[in-house]
Amino acid sequence: MNVRVNFYSYFKELTGCGRTEESLPEGGTLHDLYLRLIGRFPKLGAMEKSTLMAVGVDYQPRTHVLKDGDEVSLFPPVQGG
Amino acid sequence: MHGMKQQLTITKEAIDEAALLGGRAMSGGAGAAVYFAGVVRGTEDGAAIAAIEYEAFEKMAERQFGLLFDEMEKRWPVESVRLVHRVGMVKVNQASLWVEVVAPHRAEAFAACQWLIDELKRVVPIWKKPVAG
Repeated sequence: MNVRVNFYSYFKELTGCGRTEESLPEGGTLHDLYLRLIGRFPKLGAMEKSTLMAVGVDYQPRTHVLKDGDEVSLFPPVQGG
Repeated sequence: MHGMKQQLTITKEAIDEAALLGGRAMSGGAGAAVYFAGVVRGTEDGAAIAAIEYEAFEKMAERQFGLLFDEMEKRWPVESVRLVHRVGMVKVNQASLWVEVVAPHRAEAFAACQWLIDELKRVVPIWKKPVAG
């Protein structure tokens, strides 16, 4: 399956892109996707503990099972206000 | 269905506080209107700045604000909430955030307003980047 991935804030600088795509085996989780992404973008790995992840417009735990066509977003802690 | 009125605006335009205050609506049962303006400071981590550039993941921000409003309605008898958040460049001394909570009494209005701002800083996907002077 294929998922789309968006990066926000300084994660765009760390990865050098605002968005990308990734292929995963069926049943792959958000954590599986994350491991592939830090393989491609090693600078992201240093931010692991503070990385927030969403599928669509909702936060999801790393155990969340992805499906084909999902839109995943990765970003650092939020700073609104 | 919402008993509590909700109004959310995410905008590149300056926040017009006078217009917002002029647009206030309160029922006869409401005795407290608490509002807060978050204003860009002239320094960030000790260094002078000219502005802060705000970036939002807008669709998710709308969703997360909606969840917070729903939770606020469960916790306090709030009659209405209005919230405006700027995106893009916000100069020093300009408001980046404006929130108003209307409720029957001040204790719940203050508590709900404080909680909403604390939570938005925890979950709503908006980020800032200081812009040097």
